[in-house]
Amino acid sequence: MDPVPALYTIRIKGHLGAAVLSAFPALEPQRHGAHTVLTGLLDRSALYGVLADIEALGLELLEGPPAHAEKQIARIR
Amino acid sequence: MVGRVLSELAEHRGRVILVIDDLHELNSPDALAQLTRLLTNLPGDVHAVLATRRDLRLRLHKLRLAGQLAEIRAADLRFSERETRELLDASGIALSDTGAALLHQRTEGWAAGLRLAAISLADHPDPERFVAEFSGSDRTVAEYLIAEMLERQPADVQRLLLRTSLLDRVNGELADLLTGHQGSERILLQLEDANAFVVSLDPERTWFRYHHLFADLLRLELRRTLPEEVPALHRRAAGWFTEHGQVADAIRHTQAAGDWPGSARLLADHSFSMTLDGQAQTIQALLRAFPPGADHPELALVHATVDLVQGRLDEAAAHLAVAETYVEMAPRDRQRRLRVAIASLKLSLARRRGHLAGVTEQVTFLASPVTAQSDEDIALGSDLRAVALMNLGTVEAWSLGLPDAERHLREGAALARRIGRPYLEVSCLAQLGFASKIRPFATARRRCLEAIALAERYGWGTEPIVAPALITLAANVTWTGEFDEGARWLQLTVRALETDTGPDIRLLVHIVSGMLRACRGRHDKALEEFSAAERLRSQLEGSHALANQVTGWMLATQARAGMPGKARASLAAIDDERVGSGEIRNARAVISLAEGDPAGALGAVADVLEGTAPVVGYVTVVEAQLLAGLAYRELGDQRAANQAAERALALAESDRLVLPFAMTGSQELLEALPRHETAHAALLADILDVVHGSSLTAKDHFSAPPAEELSPGELRVLRFLPTNLSRAEIASELSISVNTVNTHVRNIYAKLQARDRSSAVQRARELRLLATGLPR
Repeated sequence: MDPVPALYTIRIKGHLGAAVLSAFPALEPQRHGAHTVLTGLLDRSALYGVLADIEALGLELLEGPPAHAEKQIARIR
Repeated sequence: MVGRVLSELAEHRGRVILVIDDLHELNSPDALAQLTRLLTNLPGDVHAVLATRRDLRLRLHKLRLAGQLAEIRAADLRFSERETRELLDASGIALSDTGAALLHQRTEGWAAGLRLAAISLADHPDPERFVAEFSGSDRTVAEYLIAEMLERQPADVQRLLLRTSLLDRVNGELADLLTGHQGSERILLQLEDANAFVVSLDPERTWFRYHHLFADLLRLELRRTLPEEVPALHRRAAGWFTEHGQVADAIRHTQAAGDWPGSARLLADHSFSMTLDGQAQTIQALLRAFPPGADHPELALVHATVDLVQGRLDEAAAHLAVAETYVEMAPRDRQRRLRVAIASLKLSLARRRGHLAGVTEQVTFLASPVTAQSDEDIALGSDLRAVALMNLGTVEAWSLGLPDAERHLREGAALARRIGRPYLEVSCLAQLGFASKIRPFATARRRCLEAIALAERYGWGTEPIVAPALITLAANVTWTGEFDEGARWLQLTVRALETDTGPDIRLLVHIVSGMLRACRGRHDKALEEFSAAERLRSQLEGSHALANQVTGWMLATQARAGMPGKARASLAAIDDERVGSGEIRNARAVISLAEGDPAGALGAVADVLEGTAPVVGYVTVVEAQLLAGLAYRELGDQRAANQAAERALALAESDRLVLPFAMTGSQELLEALPRHETAHAALLADILDVVHGSSLTAKDHFSAPPAEELSPGELRVLRFLPTNLSRAEIASELSISVNTVNTHVRNIYAKLQARDRSSAVQRARELRLLATGLPR
C-alpha cells in the first residue's frame, strides 16, 4: 500500500450542489461544462472513502483515478 | 450456523426463497466464506436472492458454470423508455410521451431517480414544466430530485427529515424529541404511505429508516444548513438511547456529538453489563472510535475488559491498576459501580490465572451487600452474583477438580437464565462441561453438547466462551478412541479461540493435540505439544487440575521419543508433593522401561495400583496397569502381564477408554492376551482396531436414551450378549434358569429396540450399557 498521498482527478457527471460538495472537503471542485472535476491530494484509504461516497450519493463517475489505482481497488473488493 | 440454516431448509417442504439484502455490508472474509458454503449447498427447491451495491468475493463460479446463477447487473436494472412510461402510469402521473422520454433520458433509466421524480410529479400542478426544468438543469440527478422533493414538503416535514437524518433508525418519540414538536409518528407513517423513501422496520410500523441515498443527502444538507445544531441533536438522541437501555447507540451518538469525556464515562459505566451480553466486539469498535492520543483515564477499565476477553492477562492487569487509581478520583455516586466492575474484572483475571485465593477474595467483596437498594443496584447485584458463581465454579474446576465446582456453575447458569443473561448462562454451561470431566464420560459429553447447542441457538457457537465445552468434548472422544472426531472438535476449539490467547484455555488445546499425536506414535510432535502445555502451566499462578497429567505425559513422551536421560533429569527437578502423584509415578515407570529397568517400573507404579497415590482420575490407574503389564512382559512373566492387561480392560470398560492402550504402546501386550481369558472381548477388538490405525466412528453422540431403563437382572444378562455363550451357558454362568434368561433377553430387545443379538449389542455399546460395574 502506497503511504504517500497522490494527486487524483475525479470527473463526475452533473453539477454538484453545496450539500454534496460538503461530503468531499479534501477535494477542490471545478465545473467543466456539464461535469464537475474534483481534484485533491489523497492517500489510498482516503481515495477509497471518496469512491465509496460517490457511489453512496448516487453520483455518476465518468473518469476515475489512473489505471493502476483501479487495479488496486479491484483487488481489494 | 450454516449447518443449522441448511438443516432447517432441508426440513422445510416446498419452494423456499431466501432473500439477503444489503449484502455489501458483509465484509469479513470468514462470513463470505460461510455464505459461499451456504449458497453452494442449498437444497434443490431453495432459491437465494442476493442484493448488493457492489461485487462481492463470493466463490460462485461453480454455480455460474452450472447455469444456476442469474446475475442482474446495473445495466439490466435500468428502466427502458417503455418501463418508465409504465411506472408513471402506475403512479397516476399524467405526462406526455415527450415528457416521459425526456425524463427517461435525464435519469438514464436509473430506478431510484425515477422513483424520486415520481414522488415530486405525483402532486405537481405542471408535470411537463417539472420535467423540462429538470432536464435543463446541470445538477446531479439525485441532488436535484431530493431538493425538489424536500422543497415540496411542508415545513414540519422538512424539519423532521433533516433533523432525524443523523439516526440509523427513527421512531415517533425520538423524532418528536429531535424536532421539538409532537406528531412525528403521523408524519413518518404518511411518508411511508406516500412511498417517499421512508420504510418501516417492524410490522407495527413504529421504527422507520430512510433510503440510504436519501439519508446521506439529508445528512449533508443538515450539516450545511444547521451545523450548530448537529452536536445538540446527537446529545438528545444519546439521552433517549441511554434512557431506553440502548447503550451502544447512546455511546455512538455521544461520540458523534464530540463529547469524548461523556462517551468514555458511558462506556466505562456499561462495559461490565455489555460484556455479560457478549458485546465485547461492540466495545472494541466503540473504543476504536475515540481519537488517538486522547487520554481518558476511565477507558483503562474498558481496555482491561477487552484485554481479558482476548486473554491478554498481563495487559489486563496493567490497565486494571490504572483503573483502580482512577476510581479514587471519580465522583462518589459512580464509585460503587466502578469498584464493582473492577472487582468483577479482577475476579475474571484471577480465575484465568488459576489463582484460587484471588478468586475467593473478590467473591467475598462482591457478595458484600449493596447499600442503596435501587432497581439498578438490585440488577447489578444479580449480575454480580451470577458472575461470581461462574468464576468461582470455574476456578474450582480448573485448579482442584472439586465437585463444588459443578454446583456453583449450575447455580450460576440458573441465575443467569433467570435474570435474562443468556451469554453468561452459556459461559457457565460450557465451564460445567469442563467441570464434568470427573463424571462418567457420557455425562460430560451430554453437558458439553447441551452447552454447545445453546450457544449455537444464540449464534455464539464460535465464541471463546464455548471453548471449554468444545475442548472437553475433543478430549472426551479422544479418550474413547474416536480420534477423527477428537481432531474435528479440536479444530472447532481452535476456531473459537481465534481472538482469545489466554494460557488457561490454550493449555487444554495443547494437551488434546498432544494426546491425538501420542496415540498415533508421533512422539516428537506429541512432545512439542505437551511441552507447550507445560510452559503455559508454569505461567498460571495456582495449581491446575491437570498439572500432573501434563508434566507426567511430557516426561513419558520424552522417554518414548528416545530421551530417557533428559526425562530422568527433569523428573529430579519436580517438587516432592507432585512426585508422589499417580501421573508422575507413571511417567517414572515409562522412563524406567525406556532405560531397560522393568523392575524399577513396577516399583514406580506400585502405589498407583494399590490406590494409595493421589490421581487425577481412574484413567491414571488404567495407564499404571498397562505399564505394569509391559514391565511383566519384559520380565518374562506372561501370566502377570495378562492379569494386568485384563485389569486395565475391566477398568476401561465402563467408559470404553481406548486412549491409554494406544498411548502406552500396549499393542503386543493385548495381542498376547488369550481371547478366552478376557471378559472384555468387544472392547479389546475396538482397541486393537484403533492401535492398528483406524479411528472409531462417533455414531452414538446423539442417540436417544432407551425408552425404559434396563433392570439389574437384564443388565447382567446383557453383558454376556457380546460373548459366544449360548443362552443355556449364560443361564449356568449366572445360576438362573434358561427361561429367566429368555425373558430378560426379550425385554432387552424390546427396550433397546433391537431385532437380534448383534443389534442389541451394537445399541448397548452406543448407550454405554456394557459397563461391568466396577468401582471407578
